[in-house]
Amino acid sequence: MSWLRNPWGRPRWLAVVTALYIVWSVVPVVLAVAFAFNAGRSRTTWQGFSFRWFTGSTGSVLHDPALQGALKHTLLLAVICVAVSTPLGVSLALGLQRWRGRGSGSVNTLMLLPLVTPEIVMGVALLLLFLRVFPEIGLGTTAQVIGQVTFTLSYVVVIVRGRLTSIGPEYEEAAADLGAPPHDQLLRVLLPLLAPAIIAAAAIAFAVSIDDFVVTQYLSSDASTTTVSMLLYATARGAPTPALNAIATVALVITLVTLSLAFLVYRRFAGGKEAAALAAMEI
Amino acid sequence: MEGEIRLEELTKAFDGVVAVDGIDLHMPPGEFFTMLGPSGCGKTTTLRMIAGFERPTSGRILLDGSDVARVPPHRRNVNTVFQSYALFPHLDVAGNVAFGLKYRKLTKEEQTRRVGEALELVNLAGFAGRKAAQLSGGQQQRVALARALVLRPRVLLLDEPLGALDARLRKNLQVELKALQNELGITFVFVTHDQEEALTMSDRIAVMNEGSVEQAGVPREVYEEPRTLFVADFLGVSNLLAAEAMGPDGDACSVRVGDRVFRAQQGATGARGDVKVMIRPERIAIEPHATGGDNRLPGMVERSVFLGGAHEVHVRVLGGELLKATVANDGKRLPFALEQGEAVTVHLPPDGLRVLTPGLPRAEAGEAAESGPA
Repeated sequence: MSWLRNPWGRPRWLAVVTALYIVWSVVPVVLAVAFAFNAGRSRTTWQGFSFRWFTGSTGSVLHDPALQGALKHTLLLAVICVAVSTPLGVSLALGLQRWRGRGSGSVNTLMLLPLVTPEIVMGVALLLLFLRVFPEIGLGTTAQVIGQVTFTLSYVVVIVRGRLTSIGPEYEEAAADLGAPPHDQLLRVLLPLLAPAIIAAAAIAFAVSIDDFVVTQYLSSDASTTTVSMLLYATARGAPTPALNAIATVALVITLVTLSLAFLVYRRFAGGKEAAALAAMEI
Repeated sequence: MEGEIRLEELTKAFDGVVAVDGIDLHMPPGEFFTMLGPSGCGKTTTLRMIAGFERPTSGRILLDGSDVARVPPHRRNVNTVFQSYALFPHLDVAGNVAFGLKYRKLTKEEQTRRVGEALELVNLAGFAGRKAAQLSGGQQQRVALARALVLRPRVLLLDEPLGALDARLRKNLQVELKALQNELGITFVFVTHDQEEALTMSDRIAVMNEGSVEQAGVPREVYEEPRTLFVADFLGVSNLLAAEAMGPDGDACSVRVGDRVFRAQQGATGARGDVKVMIRPERIAIEPHATGGDNRLPGMVERSVFLGGAHEVHVRVLGGELLKATVANDGKRLPFALEQGEAVTVHLPPDGLRVLTPGLPRAEAGEAAESGPA
């Protein structure tokens, strides 16, 4: 065991602990994904490799209407959520960055509140809101979108503000100095510089929306507003087949691809350090 | 001639902290004007007010006679070269230089021509297609310069533009900047904390400290005739000795330093009481031990450094003060060794000794800034 104790070498104990942790966190995911390709109906006993739960004629992701519906609704919510929270979040970030007067500090803290509030509390609160205060909206897709935007917005604001802070005011000042009026300072300089952060923020909002369960579940109305995560939860205790693993795998792949793209885009434009900080946010 | 700036009672306070304290300055058209001072003296804030990035708390900024203090930066006919250059990273060199031309009524051809001219002016003709990140510090600096000059501003503001460059490049750019300013005849307002830079490049220097102008004038005057202790200490190397002024003695002032009485012909020769006397290292003469005469002090060499063109000699004089002297290396053999422990006589000629009263009243400092030779 002398390689573990060499005081001049790298801290190998740390390497060992890290490796163990990575194995521990990845193994369940790998197992779940593996059983999506099981040839039999069991989610615990390996019976050979097959794509039947993805593309088979019955009970597969491609042909089961319930799974199809859930996947479509999940993606629909994610797309609307991104479309709403990105422009709104960017505007808020810009506004908050400029606003350095009284009250800006408390608004900053408020922006982080949705990120630290336990989701179940938020879910219950939003449920009551839509049932009692805004019964005309009621439960369903609209409520789900509003509920998800409530916290995906915070991600967008935090990411875009981070980039704004690191950009600093001087590019805008340079633009103004060269004769650009305020809207040109924004369009010709600030937005292009923010583009990587905006893309990354949109991708994270997308991923967070796909992964969300609690709020989406509380604000759903009927079967047509069921998402993948809700379906997984509901059928896990019923008659589960590897089709559930298959649809979870699809959701996982979409999330991973989106986040990887975001990471790559961001690193390409904003440099490694900030990208690493961003990666850390991808809870 | 265009490009004249007058600052009148200009004040800027940030949350009650005064950064610029009612300064009056005149920057004549076509001159290389430098605001010199340590960090926090208000020089950059003053520059940013002229550019329009900071709104003055009070006072006026007259650009060719009209007050621009409330005009937003994009409508002021002044341009800035930023300390960090602030080149737009998403645009190439040509895109950066052309940025401001969009707001001038110019044809596409005219724009392209002006961009080409500007890049040629700063010797970057072949770099139009490069991104800012692909350029060296010195090249980025030139692009920043071209980007501002292409708009033909009446005044060019430069915020420590050489600060981020290495010493050698800095020297070259100093010369180039000065040549460029001569060629274009545009007023340059330059901010720096580097006194050497200020002395070599400027037509006129304003030395600032704690939000006020201590002294403004041509480099020689500010260096040779500092009016305040701060200016004497900040520009060049000064020997400052605590002394007691005993009143005028002919054209000079009698000052008592320790147990000796000297004649000092420069500065506040009418002063009485506690003062400082100042002398530049190059004005001190070192003579063999026990040389007789007025304005002389015995001392002992404490350290001597050969600098090539000169020796820098530190002499501990009677009374305990340490004086720095420069002895020019003129090829002659010195009649004494400049070695540690060597006893010498230090001669402080009356025309090199300047009497400085501690602190100049505010009003007087303002007047001094105003009444620099035209």
